[in-house]
Amino acid sequence: MMGSLKKSKPSSGQIFIVGIFIFYMILPIIATYIFSIATRWDRTILPEGYSLEGYMEATTNPYFFITLKNSLVLSVASVLVSLFVVVPTVYWVHVKLHSAKPLLDLLMILPFGIPGVVLALALVQVYNFQPISRSPLLLTAATVVFTMPFMYRSVSNNLAAVDIPTLTEAAQSLGANTFNVLWRVIIPNIFPGILSGSLLVFATVFAEFTLARLIVGAGFKTFPMLLVEYTRKDGTIAAGMSVISFTIAWIVSLLILWASGKGIKVSRESIGAR
Amino acid sequence: MRQSSKNRNRVLSWLGLLPFLLFCLAFEIVPILLLLRDSLFTRAGELTAANYQGAVAPLYLRSFWNSIKLSGITALLGTTIGLVVGYGVFRWPSKRVQDSLIALSDVTTNFAGAPLAFAFIIVLGSNGLITQFFLKYLDIKLYPEFSVYSLSGLILAYLYFQLPLMVLLIIPAFGGIKKEWRESATNLGANTYQFWWNIGLPILAPSLIAGFVLLFANAFGAYATAYTLTGSKLSLVTLQIGFTITGEVLHEPGIGQAMAVLSLLIMGTCIAIYQVATSRARKWTRG
Amino acid sequence: MMTYLELTDISKNFGNVVAVKDFNLSIKKGQLVSFLGPSGCGKTTTLRMIGGFEIPDSGTILLADEDISKIPPNRRGIGMVFQSYALFPNMTILENVMFGLKMQHKPKKEMTSIAEKVLDLVRLQNTAKRYPHQLSGGQQQRIALARALAIQPRVLLLDEPLSALDAEVRVALRGEIRRIQSDLGITTVYVTHDQEEALSISDMVVVMNNGLVEQIGTPQEIYRKPDTRFVATFIGTANEFHGIVTDSENVKAGNLVIKTSGLHNFSIGSEVVALVRPENVEVFDQKPTDSMVNVVEGDVDTITFHGAITRLGINAGGKMITADVTITGRNILSYHQHVWLSFNPEYCKVMAEK
Repeated sequence: MMGSLKKSKPSSGQIFIVGIFIFYMILPIIATYIFSIATRWDRTILPEGYSLEGYMEATTNPYFFITLKNSLVLSVASVLVSLFVVVPTVYWVHVKLHSAKPLLDLLMILPFGIPGVVLALALVQVYNFQPISRSPLLLTAATVVFTMPFMYRSVSNNLAAVDIPTLTEAAQSLGANTFNVLWRVIIPNIFPGILSGSLLVFATVFAEFTLARLIVGAGFKTFPMLLVEYTRKDGTIAAGMSVISFTIAWIVSLLILWASGKGIKVSRESIGAR
Repeated sequence: MRQSSKNRNRVLSWLGLLPFLLFCLAFEIVPILLLLRDSLFTRAGELTAANYQGAVAPLYLRSFWNSIKLSGITALLGTTIGLVVGYGVFRWPSKRVQDSLIALSDVTTNFAGAPLAFAFIIVLGSNGLITQFFLKYLDIKLYPEFSVYSLSGLILAYLYFQLPLMVLLIIPAFGGIKKEWRESATNLGANTYQFWWNIGLPILAPSLIAGFVLLFANAFGAYATAYTLTGSKLSLVTLQIGFTITGEVLHEPGIGQAMAVLSLLIMGTCIAIYQVATSRARKWTRG
Repeated sequence: MMTYLELTDISKNFGNVVAVKDFNLSIKKGQLVSFLGPSGCGKTTTLRMIGGFEIPDSGTILLADEDISKIPPNRRGIGMVFQSYALFPNMTILENVMFGLKMQHKPKKEMTSIAEKVLDLVRLQNTAKRYPHQLSGGQQQRIALARALAIQPRVLLLDEPLSALDAEVRVALRGEIRRIQSDLGITTVYVTHDQEEALSISDMVVVMNNGLVEQIGTPQEIYRKPDTRFVATFIGTANEFHGIVTDSENVKAGNLVIKTSGLHNFSIGSEVVALVRPENVEVFDQKPTDSMVNVVEGDVDTITFHGAITRLGINAGGKMITADVTITGRNILSYHQHVWLSFNPEYCKVMAEK
């Protein structure tokens, strides 16, 4: 920590600044939560009445469960594809092909430089033939490309914190074949990274609107797409759906914290955050 | 004898990378390259710059200018305010509180998109919570001068996820300013301002540049928030490109492609600057 | 005792770099052999070739007369202890120790009994249910040793096992390793850069430098009869006197005429260096009798207290000579004191100036 004095209380300036920050961050969220259970809220500071009607009405709409299901399927599919594509590659490069690491790093930075709309445009124009044109499959490929860096960073940090080569040799010297090395030693030790990465990919894809709308559109409506529709139709239901989105995101964040916390206790400094 | 088997091993090793490379090529690299190619050709197949000329025609130039303005302002505000907030969090004495604030930032920076836009409508819309508050308690009429559906509304909404991003970036940068530097500066006679002016801020500078550039790129490429909040009222580059795909606007697809390529150039420059700045920051704070 | 582990003409290159060249060694069953040398001398590479983690470019490795060069590391029956302990973080201590037995598909009862026995051996029976990160470095290394011993390996390999530990722990643990090794009679190869470690526990020492073997011998031989300049200066310290052979016994080094115990291998006029260890340099506070040979005079420049001995640096007309003495009540020395040094020709080792 900087500064020579060990402070026990924050200064008033600190409290003010951080307080405003917290207020700015939390207010919209709380307002959304309240709006979703408000009967009428356009004339007063606080709502005129409360009711759960919005939620009940939402669940009667058949599209509600269809879009929820679609989003869940899309998210799970993205996680699975990402696991199969990214995890073995990261492990392979880390252990057998270290010279390829700069290439891998570069490829994992690329998605950050491609806006969702641009990726959507490129994919839609290239894959304009059946059966992949404007399909959920294409969308899954797009979401995987988009979220690759998250899975990569999570697994890669975990790999770096564990001395894979030495553990591998130790296991081999004790008679383990390749399968046993992977199954009993490697995977259990990188599991926290895989778990965090999967949760992050899940949460990001669940909330993804741009790619879903532009690549498939009405053919495969996702939860965020329905939400946007309701923002123009019925505010209360839109707020209710926002609440559901927020809540899922919160739960996933907590799970990620728990997953990386239960990570291998090597040393606190070596476990990457995020 | 052994040399050739070693070479064979190396080739086999690279083969292990193949599935991943194929995936990237198929769904990332090749489509983008084709996009680039198509933007340079007319429908008839002739090499042309017409698409790019069209992309900077007054109508579309305005959208570039809006996007740049929006990204620049939110990046600047995000960087400066984030710097101050970040310092406040960094110096917070209780580690528990500090960790919670970092967790809060972590979560809120991912809250972009439709739910965020809608939340801002609830708070700052024409009948919004804060709007009413200003009216009833401070006797200030925000509307119609201000509208959450305008550029200024968008700035406030973007700031919501820009600010925590900067906070997350700058806190480790503060951590990189070693205690010993402050102590030896004091020992040599410097006061707080002199320390920050001569040592602290220059050390932070690469991280600040990296943060600014990252925030700029983050805002420039955003779509969902703007779409939800403004629909088609405000012209932004990402929205225009979106219209190209959905066919909501009638113009040569080539123009959409040209705009996409120009966007990539802008984003690419940001990322390049970001990489240089972060590696510089890391170099200084390592030894 | 017959030769149990034999390395013949082993060489290994990494790209253009020669890591090990023409390495030859015969180890008898039950011996503890150390590979000793500075970083980059090839000792770890050679060890890893025995373990199967590197493949030699040329040469053969025979274990009990069986060529093991082609056998993968997980089937050589060789136990390995790593510098970083390499305990599996996701398993308890007991699970770690049983791992090798599990790979051999031993029945559960047998596994548990062997594991407990081996934990007994390293005196860490009560850690069975804990996890590696809960143990200290020294304890983790003992568990690593137990884990390697559990599979009853034919050869035990240790790669700088104590380098990561505190000095105190190192001394205690190396004694324990030697005790266990000796009790079990297990053939062991021990890599270290710490000469004190190598000299104190080994049956044989292989001194290496730049990929080549400098000398193979018992600790006493290495110390008292170094074959090469490198061994003489790497092991212990030595005073160096550079000079020319003047006759069958003497070397003229500057103003000093050094009498040796015989220079039959050197022609007159050849450039040599005479080496004398500090403990063989006697120090007098008065001019000794004329019958003493190899007398040098100078002033005490540095005095360093090392507990049992005190190391003196004496400035003899510009040349610094190191002498180790035991200080008793009667012979306290002080800075700038004028002293006389002498050493017996027997303790003077002469080598060619390369």
